Amino acid sequence: MSEVIQRDTMLSYITGSVESSAESVAIRAINERGREDLEKTPFPTRKDEDWRFVDLKSITKSQFCKLEEANAADVGDISEHYLPEAMNCRLVFVNGVYNEELSSVEDLPNNVIVGNLAANADNNSVKEHLGTITNYDDDVFAPFNDAAFTDGAFIYVPEETVVRTPIHILNVFTDAEKAFYATPRLLYVGEMFSKSTIIEEHIGLADNQYLNVPVTEFKMFTGSNVHHARIQRDSKNASHVSRPIAILDKNAEYHSYTICLGAKLFRNDPRVIQNAEEVNFTVDGLVLIDGNQIADTHSIMDHRFAHAGSHQLHKVVVNDSAHSVFNGKIFVAKDAQKIDSFQENRNLLLSENGKVNTKPQLEIFADDVLCSHGATIGQLQDEEVFYLQSRGLTEQKSRELLVYAFALESVESMEVESVEKLLLSEVIEYTNRDNK
Amino acid sequence: MSEELSDGVKELESMIGEEYKYGFTTDVEYEDFPKGISEEIVRELSRVKEEPEWMTEFRVKAYHAWKEMEEPTWFNATYKKPDFENMLYYSAPKKKPQLDSMDDVDPNIRETYEKLGIPLEEQKMLSGVAVDAVFDSVSIFTSFKEKLAEAGVIFCSMSEAIKEHPELVKKYMASVVPVRDNFYSALNSAVFSDGSFCYIPKNTKCPMELSTYFRINNMESGQFERTLIVAEEGASVSYLEGCTAPMYDENQLHAAVVELVALDDADIKYSTIQNWYSGDENGKGGIYNFVTKRGICKGKNSHISWTQLETGSAVTLKYPSVILKGDNSVGEFYSVAVTTKKQQADTGTKMIHLGKNTKSTIISKGISAGQSNNSYRGEVKISKNATGSKNYSVCDSMLIGQECGAHTFPYISSENPSSSVEHEATTSRVGEEQIFYLMQRGISEQDAISMIINGFVKDVLKELPLEFAVEANKLLDVKLEGSVG
Repeated sequence: MSEVIQRDTMLSYITGSVESSAESVAIRAINERGREDLEKTPFPTRKDEDWRFVDLKSITKSQFCKLEEANAADVGDISEHYLPEAMNCRLVFVNGVYNEELSSVEDLPNNVIVGNLAANADNNSVKEHLGTITNYDDDVFAPFNDAAFTDGAFIYVPEETVVRTPIHILNVFTDAEKAFYATPRLLYVGEMFSKSTIIEEHIGLADNQYLNVPVTEFKMFTGSNVHHARIQRDSKNASHVSRPIAILDKNAEYHSYTICLGAKLFRNDPRVIQNAEEVNFTVDGLVLIDGNQIADTHSIMDHRFAHAGSHQLHKVVVNDSAHSVFNGKIFVAKDAQKIDSFQENRNLLLSENGKVNTKPQLEIFADDVLCSHGATIGQLQDEEVFYLQSRGLTEQKSRELLVYAFALESVESMEVESVEKLLLSEVIEYTNRDNK
Repeated sequence: MSEELSDGVKELESMIGEEYKYGFTTDVEYEDFPKGISEEIVRELSRVKEEPEWMTEFRVKAYHAWKEMEEPTWFNATYKKPDFENMLYYSAPKKKPQLDSMDDVDPNIRETYEKLGIPLEEQKMLSGVAVDAVFDSVSIFTSFKEKLAEAGVIFCSMSEAIKEHPELVKKYMASVVPVRDNFYSALNSAVFSDGSFCYIPKNTKCPMELSTYFRINNMESGQFERTLIVAEEGASVSYLEGCTAPMYDENQLHAAVVELVALDDADIKYSTIQNWYSGDENGKGGIYNFVTKRGICKGKNSHISWTQLETGSAVTLKYPSVILKGDNSVGEFYSVAVTTKKQQADTGTKMIHLGKNTKSTIISKGISAGQSNNSYRGEVKISKNATGSKNYSVCDSMLIGQECGAHTFPYISSENPSSSVEHEATTSRVGEEQIFYLMQRGISEQDAISMIINGFVKDVLKELPLEFAVEANKLLDVKLEGSVG
């Protein structure tokens, strides 16, 4: 037998111990469970299939401390990041800590809850669902969040209620003397036939290094509907490892759109689990990276029952020495018939030193299904560039326009106008970067 | 699903699960070797085969390398691990016939060929195919040797090549698949029994299609074939390999190594039909087919093409690959994998683009029925220097029945902004609309299903050389024609 090699755990990169300071008994129980999982799970290396292509140096070469020890700067005025549509429907977390002053929740329909977890710890839905939806095997990041979180966002939409205002969950990170870790948490419970739009944002206000490990859990009851946009604009030196997961009852619809712009290391493992027949979901993504950024998406579309429609469009633009990894899995269980699932991964590789790894994966155990995927890695077509040049654009401008058009498709799915505008300006900034 | 249709599918399933047609054994006396593996056995094997010193050392070195390696487990299949200590590593027909004419061949063996429907003589006379028939491990019949010799082509058994063309064997053996490449290639390097060697000299077009029939005939004897094909500058060759095996309960391991080397402007086309015993309804018995096949497009403008029709074996792990090293070289992979009953196939290809303007095409079609699992696993890698390279891959899977599985694991990576990779995959079943459309044209349901399946695999079968296409159709008929009944 080969000798047992002592492998590092997540805690090897954390200064001090992860102690729970949560007041709620329920949260403390999850903290305890997370700590147990953390101790027995080794930190991933490139020998693990799921981490083969990704360089985890930005975590393993550092030590991350508690926020209290990091001497973080004050948040200051962040009103430029508020969404006009959601002026009265906003939860703000600064470095992972709930900030009541900056948050604003007013005029919501009856019985809708948009608040922080700690304050709602006695809510039955929180007790019932918090920590029960996350389901990642051999993982260290979800358990790390489990072990360390003390608060988070909680959204509850009651039966047959439609929240028309988008709900803005704004996570901002300030400059700090030391690299710290944050574990934002979001629990969403949508009762039968409820509907809402969630904008989850992560913004780094400076260029400092920190580790952001968010977990989001979506419990979708029969006929509920959610539009979930996740915008990641972390600091260019931050590491962001997120675990968003949704579980869908009959007739539920869950549409998620993840936009990756920031962070040095971005790893995202979205998972949608079908818990009953007849559901519909989307797991879209747009990744625009340059410099030394690494963006890695490992998604699972888990079809466990019959009758589902699902779609994934994952678009990536890679520039400079950036590296993109995509591993998308469509899973169809035995007897889960009548599944229509489509996955598309389009990569635009623009630079000599950029790198793209993609592995779209089908695992199908039912016969009456229509599952397909497509993956391409390419560059701008010379004909297209020529066409635009023949219309009087410079070559540079033509290329920018084409990259812009490539990214546009994903941005247009945003249902909130100001978010769409914001993203368009981000896309323009990305495509015009050479002009600066 | 209409009731009639489901009846049709049932019938199709039952026909797909048709008993192995070629399950019989021939009674030939064997010069048996002790079971198990050790350095002594490896040396003894080399001695019995009257090999030169360098070959013995090659084997012993490989054996020690293998000893240190661990059996891989990453693939999508579960099976009882082969017991390497309880296996025979060499078996040869006791009386080696002197072959002046077909009459000198052991009548039992000739009968076997006849049962298999391989008309050696007919092929010899009519189709002009040279057949190097491998009965178990030792080549017993090689035809058309003179005609090939005239063209300067060397086509002989590996044992012969080791003795007569040591400089070529030394130069190219293990140059494409290194001994330590994987667990099974190391094992093969230590104990390979025999195989084919083929060398096409400069600017020569091989005057005929080369073909080898493999047949596993001795219970508990693993087959460790070793094939090496070298095409010199401007040479071209088409090589056919077909397999059928008798029915046995004991799992048999087949761990072959095939190496192709194409120099400047050379062209190698390698086609396989694999129909070994796949085990019974309960997954008992059947061949383990763990083969390492790899070609290297070493020279500029060279071309290697793999075509395979995989219908047999209990477990298949096979990834015929092409390393595109020369500029402007082309790699192709066409595959149909049919799994029925409890068969498990994990097969695909690797296209490693190293040279400039290299191109590769992958067309893979999987059909799973019964309780089988069929996986496509492929890798397309465009390295930094492979500017202007292109890859196009299609992997389609068809599911027949509710208990089978189809899986796709394509690894794609690119480090180059002037290259493009396209990959598509679909999984579905025979469409009701398609059947309905054909039926309303007056075609019976079974015919319709058969037509649709034939259409599904046509892209691949058309790549087979004509001589093989006939056999391929026969084989698909045996597996699938039931629905036509």
